[in-house]
Amino acid sequence: MLMTAMEFAQFPILSAILFSTLVALLVILFIPHDRPKLVKQVSLGFAALGLALSLYLYLTFDPQKGGLQFVERVLWVKSLGIYYFLAADGMNVPMILLTAVVLFTGVLTMWELDKRVKEYFALTYLLVAGVYGVFMSMDLFFIFVWYDVSLFPMYPLIAIWGSTRKEYGAMKLTLYLLAGSALILPGILYLWAVAGGTTFDLFELQRLGFDVQVQRIAFVMLYLGFGILAGVWPFHTWSPVGHVAAPTAVSMIHAGVLMKLGAYGILRVGMTLCPEGLVYWADLMALLATIGIVYGAFVGLAQTDLKYVIGYSSVSHMGIVGLGLATMTVDGINGAVFQMFSHGIMTALFFSAVGYIYDKTHTKMIPELGGLSKTMPKASAFFIVAAFCGIGVPCMSSFWAELLVFISAVKTYPVRGILAVSGLVVSALFMLRVVQKTFYGDKNPKWEHIPDVPLFLASPRIILVGILIFYGLFPRLILDVIQSAVVPFVNSL
Amino acid sequence: MMKWTLFTPELYYVAVASVFFICSLEKQADPRRLYRWAVPLAGIGLAVTVACARMEGFLFFDSYRVDLFSQVFKVFLALGMFFVVLVCNELQGIEPRKHGEFYFLLSVCTLAMMMLVSAVELLTIYIALELSSYSLYLLVPMRHRADEYVETGIKYFMVGATASALMIFGMGYLFGVTHTTYVADIVQKLPHVLHQPAALVGLLLALGGFFFKQALFPFHIWAPDVYQGAANQVTTYIATASKMAAAAMVIRFVGMSTGQSELLVQILVVLSVLSMTFGNLVAIVQKDIKRLLAYSSIAHAGYMLIGILCMTQRGYSSAVYYALAYLIMNFACFMVIIRVAPDGHNLQIRELAGLHKRSPILAMTLMLALFGLAGIPPTLGFTGKFLVFAAALEKGYLMLVIIGMINATISLYYYLIVIKAAYLLEPVREYPPVRVDPWTRVMSAALVIAMVYVGIFPDRFVALAEATVAVLP
Repeated sequence: MLMTAMEFAQFPILSAILFSTLVALLVILFIPHDRPKLVKQVSLGFAALGLALSLYLYLTFDPQKGGLQFVERVLWVKSLGIYYFLAADGMNVPMILLTAVVLFTGVLTMWELDKRVKEYFALTYLLVAGVYGVFMSMDLFFIFVWYDVSLFPMYPLIAIWGSTRKEYGAMKLTLYLLAGSALILPGILYLWAVAGGTTFDLFELQRLGFDVQVQRIAFVMLYLGFGILAGVWPFHTWSPVGHVAAPTAVSMIHAGVLMKLGAYGILRVGMTLCPEGLVYWADLMALLATIGIVYGAFVGLAQTDLKYVIGYSSVSHMGIVGLGLATMTVDGINGAVFQMFSHGIMTALFFSAVGYIYDKTHTKMIPELGGLSKTMPKASAFFIVAAFCGIGVPCMSSFWAELLVFISAVKTYPVRGILAVSGLVVSALFMLRVVQKTFYGDKNPKWEHIPDVPLFLASPRIILVGILIFYGLFPRLILDVIQSAVVPFVNSL
Repeated sequence: MMKWTLFTPELYYVAVASVFFICSLEKQADPRRLYRWAVPLAGIGLAVTVACARMEGFLFFDSYRVDLFSQVFKVFLALGMFFVVLVCNELQGIEPRKHGEFYFLLSVCTLAMMMLVSAVELLTIYIALELSSYSLYLLVPMRHRADEYVETGIKYFMVGATASALMIFGMGYLFGVTHTTYVADIVQKLPHVLHQPAALVGLLLALGGFFFKQALFPFHIWAPDVYQGAANQVTTYIATASKMAAAAMVIRFVGMSTGQSELLVQILVVLSVLSMTFGNLVAIVQKDIKRLLAYSSIAHAGYMLIGILCMTQRGYSSAVYYALAYLIMNFACFMVIIRVAPDGHNLQIRELAGLHKRSPILAMTLMLALFGLAGIPPTLGFTGKFLVFAAALEKGYLMLVIIGMINATISLYYYLIVIKAAYLLEPVREYPPVRVDPWTRVMSAALVIAMVYVGIFPDRFVALAEATVAVLP
């Protein structure tokens, strides 16, 4: 029997999305080792389910109404005031959608994986469960728990399936991110204790409010803790190394989604609970973000490894998110959240495209490639679209995001804003240089017989390109959603 | 009229010890038969202890208190003994003719520690502690081909004897300033005299004896050698059950000050920080997994002390939860060690290479236990750390918590090295296959479920821990 729309609205859709990943994990664990094909099919099935539910969430979310929707709240640990509290608002709906898209395309991208397939997909689902959990939870305890859950699978995922100094990259990444959570947990507990030790409910804590001094201390801890994951300069060094070492789909999830957890954490926990702390530290935030933008672009210019190029471009692009948040304006934060979304899709496309090239040529060194657009035009086209998006070409979603951030940044911090914009020019330079050297110019005869990407394997990249262009043409479709949360948020600052 | 029923668990263990004492008199005891006896006896012991968990009352002229606090710790101890006995089916580390003595001493030690957690009078405490210590002093050098480990036994005995000498010296001071040996009276009087150096020194020296058991820095020096030198099963017992009793006693003794001395708190903070940092930093360079766990236990004693030094109900209850978590996680690690080294040799980290292929379930148990020890959610180790840190922040110890978290990060490094060995390294030479009997499978699965379930649904256990410490005098 079909459910009516009203009944469906009561359906705990957020829990459904979250637990679909854990169910997928369990199902995969029970599939025998010698059935890799089945593992992939099950993974794809659950990813499609997650995507469908997320799309439904996105489409039924009412931007006019704003506020928290699809709320689920259950008391978990009474004596500490911990709640299992999921809700959707304008800030996390795009992130949930992003996660679903990246997971779905990531599963497709790894379709040709043949090493320890079952464990790979099981760990991926554990990781994604953590990511969904952070995005959906409105209880500090659960935000932290899911945050850590999302970090751990990275270690085996990189150390087993990765390449280029994979064990070093995995260990560095794990320890860096854990060092971040070594600041987040005391920060969260500090706020909880100051508020009387009765609740971890984010909005309850916000209502209770904190002293300026408390906010300043807590904000800097939360900012640094989450900032490490967001790739804030100078704590970014794990990120290019980790990206390079990780296998394709892990890079996609990692740069596409996981880094967003950091920026989202700053926004959702740090800025929401410590607005006065934000005001106090905003200058420093803007400075670090600007340095990140410019530094990432310049270092990217000097790289010869395709994945390092993307890794440093991520540092630069995540700097834009940081700068947007630091402006404390509606446009700036709108742009920052939009940038998180579009950068997630863009990086996923980048890594997905590089993944195919690497699988076929077994190199990702720019000097060894060259002229690839002649042998594999489709595969090259995907990378080039991502590069255009990275530069911020109009009609691409990142154009709107970057525009919004830079307009508010120049208004709020003129010098840093202009410096950041100039960083963008350098970033355009290195993107075009990479495109020119890798895909045009002299053809390397070694790669002549390489087949172009077949349709099935191209499908994840086509989806990603489609999303980038779609939101480039119709930015309001997502900006309205984001704005429904950002406007009341900025007004409350 | 004394209510002897209150003494049921202890009497039961007296009976068990007698059974094994008689067995030890046989010239050629059959190890298989002993094991078949030991498992049900330990299992019934656990059941008896659980059945007596709700008892309350005083015995022996009020020097022996039976309450929820003592009974819960008795359950932990019985659980610890049961766990250890379960993994004794291949007790290769100890000569076959000594197996009777082994089980006898194990029972006596458990009995002694049960008496320890119920004792509320200084001399009773001291005697119970000595009884448990002497059982361990004998268990440690019992190892098969022990010549190279005799030194370990002597070292353990010497350090332990010194610690207990200092402890009774401290108890003497406590008696001197309070004119009583009853904990309930000391709690009334000590806070008023704690500003006197004699009182503080007395309390610290008395605590030293338990810090020694807990292997808290600087009372830790025996731990790495003893962990390494004792047979694997004995180490397991020292690392689990004996830590429980020590934790209970530290809670009881710190509780006597009722938070009246700032200086005491400062000293405990320093000890906690040093213990965490020292333990974790030295653990990084270890190659022998038992030594690694010894250093990690030094660090964990530091984490547990954070909860205790808060001197609040929340702090004590977090320490109780932490102790339970530590028991389960540590036992899981040792169970894997015992199974991977069935001949009882000291396992090196590199010997774990390829364990995920040799035995997926053991590898998974080990991984979860180590993640738990590192404090990674959703394991019970995470919840334990979370509770301890929450209690500390309620008292405003922000820096202490940050140091604790940084230490947790450092510890992750060496735990990851072990996990890496089990999951990523390819063995350089053929290691003998790991024989995993059905019992071990069941136990592994139970431990894995316990570690995750208690981590995700801690409510009931937190409530139990809170009820446990609510009865402290």
